[in-house]
Parts: sequence; structure tokens; C-alpha cells
Amino acid sequence: MNKIYLWGIVITVAMLGFTYMSVGMSEGGLNGDIVNMLTVAAAISLVVITVFVVIKYVRQMQTDTADGQLADEQWDGVGEYLNEVPKGWAIMFLLTMVWGMWYFIAGYPVNSYSQIGEYNEDVAVHNAKFEAQYASITGDRLVEMGESVFIAECKICHGLKADGIDGKAANLNQRIEAKTVKFAIENGSNNHLLGSEMPMPDRNGLFNTNTGSLITDAEIDVVSAYVANGMTGTGADVFVGTCAACHGEDGKGMEYVAPSVATFSPALVTNILNHGKKGAIGKMPAFDRLNAKQKEAVGAYITSLSN
Amino acid sequence: MFHWLEKHPFFFAVGVFLTVAFAGLVTILPNFAQSSRPVIGTAPYSTLELAGRHVYIKNSCNACHSQLVRPFKSETDRYGHYSLSGEYAYDRPFLWGSKRTGPDLMRVGNYRTTDWHENHMKDPSGVVPGSIMPAYRWMFTNAADIDTAFAEQLTVAQFFSVPYNKPVPMRDGSTMVVKMGSSLADANVLALAEAKVIVEDMKDQDVKDAVANGKIPEIVALIAYLNSLK
Repeated sequence: MNKIYLWGIVITVAMLGFTYMSVGMSEGGLNGDIVNMLTVAAAISLVVITVFVVIKYVRQMQTDTADGQLADEQWDGVGEYLNEVPKGWAIMFLLTMVWGMWYFIAGYPVNSYSQIGEYNEDVAVHNAKFEAQYASITGDRLVEMGESVFIAECKICHGLKADGIDGKAANLNQRIEAKTVKFAIENGSNNHLLGSEMPMPDRNGLFNTNTGSLITDAEIDVVSAYVANGMTGTGADVFVGTCAACHGEDGKGMEYVAPSVATFSPALVTNILNHGKKGAIGKMPAFDRLNAKQKEAVGAYITSLSN
Repeated sequence: MFHWLEKHPFFFAVGVFLTVAFAGLVTILPNFAQSSRPVIGTAPYSTLELAGRHVYIKNSCNACHSQLVRPFKSETDRYGHYSLSGEYAYDRPFLWGSKRTGPDLMRVGNYRTTDWHENHMKDPSGVVPGSIMPAYRWMFTNAADIDTAFAEQLTVAQFFSVPYNKPVPMRDGSTMVVKMGSSLADANVLALAEAKVIVEDMKDQDVKDAVANGKIPEIVALIAYLNSLK
């Protein structure tokens, strides 16, 4: 008997013994637990298979001799046999190629993940959450939401206190400033404030029905101050004569004709956010990327500032 | 043949290179060519905008401001639609930036205006309390370099076929023609015409006077560039 078999048996027995001891002496030990028994069985088969395989190849190294035809070329004395490719290996190789094609074309979900797809899902989830939580809020909660949107989007020009930062943007704590009224009268206005195309004419189209002639410089100053003061003070007669036909005697505007110049309303603010605005101070860009509820909320907040 | 290749390592290496290069080409190129084509609505920069872009680069605005909106809800809420690679088709070099000390400017033209930029560049903390951005007052007096902008236009039109003086498709189905001057003098005339439109919305009297006298301060070019970022 070859020494190597002897060594194989010695090592097998030693390792099995070690396994038996380490399992038997541990807490729980060799009880009937199925997982425990499976583990032990696996340990035994591992030991046996390992020893068997090692013996096989060591034997082969001891006894094997090379045969077959050598290829012509050799590299520093190392040659190559012209043997057939082993059948099992060749089949595995071809199967791997087939699997590779399947994996590339159908198996691996090449298009099942995309960054934009994840983004779209993310947006859908957020929008659904927004709908569920905020779609129906009103009153104070709407104003609160408006304030937070205002702080995120509007304060950069209108300032934290909505005062327009020293005239750099409109002061939203009052409906309208005198210079804004004056600018609109002198230059006309077409800001789609009601979502309609109808423009307000400039001073060459504004008649004062009280005097029967075009509005004058003095009248413009008076009526601008009147509107800016919240429709109080002198100038009511000019307003009635010139502006009331469209804006109403109380200045609250008429639907589809002219916006309110006396008070803010969420609808008015929403229209400004949708279309932007060009006026006495400069141009305000449209903020149509806000959603409908956010626009309504900003409207509610701005309306609450001047009430 | 394979035994022959095995005996000739040089040709073997060439063969490997050709195989890998071909595989790379067919997997990478078609997709790359597709996505780097200009998106509809992306137009080349006009002379003044290009001069403004040079001001932007010269003052290292891209060190603090990125120009790349990532596809995250939090970013698209703030900055607008996420960036597409075709939108950078006329950016040489692109100004993606790598760090946002300030906000992203990819679409700043959508939500800031000429007069806001004027206030802001003169005194950033005056409009944005707590801003750490420095003031860029010299831009109100330094002259914009229209000549270099025109030189760049000529170069990119010739070597990269950037469509100047040709109709470019816009998102609403219309087309737009970005003009390039036929000579240096012509380019300066075009840039001045653009500058006049910008300064109408500006307040600084010195800047207005300079443009009226045919000079273009850097701030005007920069604002033209920022307004073009949409």
C-alpha cells in the first residue's frame, strides 16, 4: 500500500475526530437539530472529498507521463500539445457563449434601470404625497405654505419682509405703489393679469369722463396716490371718471375685464406667477414651475400681508 | 493562423487592439453621437453672450456656481428641468463646475432678470442677506472683449460647424437665427445692438452712457450671457 493512502486515512481520521470534538464539546453539541446535523454531514463530506481529490492528483503527478503530438513551435523549451479540447470543457465554453448572448440580449435587464426612470418614480411619489397631504388645505395652513414657498422662491427679489428691498422689487405689503400706478397709466399694461390678452391702454387712450378729455399729468399724480393709499384720500373723482369703467368704482376689478387694484387675491397672484410681469420697477419672470397649489398658497400669503 | 499569430507577438497585439477598439466603437459611438447632438431649443451663443461667457470664465464664476441640474426632485424643483447632454453642444468648454458654493446657474435666465443681476453684481448681500458672494463692481467699468468673442465665433463656425446665420429649431416649432458678423466691425455693431436691449432694463447711468457712446461694459455682456441660460 502506498504511503499516500496511509497518510490520507490518518488525516481523515484526525480531521473527523477534531470535528467530532469541536461539535460535541460546544454548547448544544450533537443534538437532533436538523441544521446542526446537516452542518456536521457537510463537514464530514468536505473532509472526505478533499482528501480523496488531493490523493488522486498527487498520485497522478507521481505516475503520469505525457503523451500526444507536440506543436511545432515552442517557447524557451516549453511546448504545446496538439490535443483535442476536452469535451466537457468545450461544451461548457460553447454554453457560456450562448448564455452570454442571452444575458446580453434578454437575461440582464439592460433597460430596466435608468437614472431618469428613478427620477420619474421619485417625482410621482412626491407628487402623490403632496396631493395626499396638502391638496385640500385652506385658511391659515395655506398661508403658512405660501410663506414657506415665498421664502424659498420670492424673497430673493421681494425680500424676507416682502418689502421689495428698497424698491428693488414690488413692495407686497400694499396692493400697489403710486409709481406703479403711474407707470401703468402712462405706458399701458399688458401683463395677462387675468389670463386674457386684453391690454390696458396707455395715457393716450384713457379719457376722464368728468372732463371729457384725456387724463392729465396732475390727474395721474392724484389718482396714483389715491390708488396707492388703498382707495382713500383725494382723487376718487378721477378714478370714477377714468378707471372705474374697467376696474370698478371700488377698484376691485371685474372678472375677465380688469384686475383688482384695491386688494390682492390668490387668482391675481397666480396669474402673475404664470405669466411674469413688466412694470415700473422692471421685469418679473414667470414662476410657472410652482404647482397650482403652491401658487394658490403664495397668493393667499401675499393677500394676507396687506389685509 | 492562430499559431502564426502566437509566434508574432506584435501582430497579435495589433489584432487584440483592433478587436477591442471595434467593440468599443460599436458600443459607445452610436449612443454618444445621439446624445451629444444639440437639443431642440439650444441655440449658439451670440457675440455679446459669448463675450459674457468669457467674463464668466475670467472671473471664475464656475468655481462656485455649477451649470448642471441633476435629475433629483429637490434640484428640479429649485432649478427646473434636469440637464441634457445635448444642451451643452455649443459650450466650449462646458462649465459644469464641481462644487456649489453658490446656486446652480444652468437655467438662471428663467427666473432672474436683468435688473436683479445688476443689483446683485453690484452688491450681492443687498439683495441676498447673508450672501458670501463678493461684489463685482469692476465689471461695470471694464470693457467687454467683443473681438475675442468674434474670433471664437469664427473658429467654432468654421471648425465645428456651429450654425451661425442658419435657422436653429426652437421648442415651440419656430426657428431662430443667431447672427454672426461678417467682419470685426460688423460683429461690434451686432454686439452693441444687443447691449442696447439689455441696458434698457438697467439702472446704472454710467453703464447706460457707456453703451450710448458705443462702449460695452463687461456687466452688460455677462447679463446677456446669464439671461441666455435657460
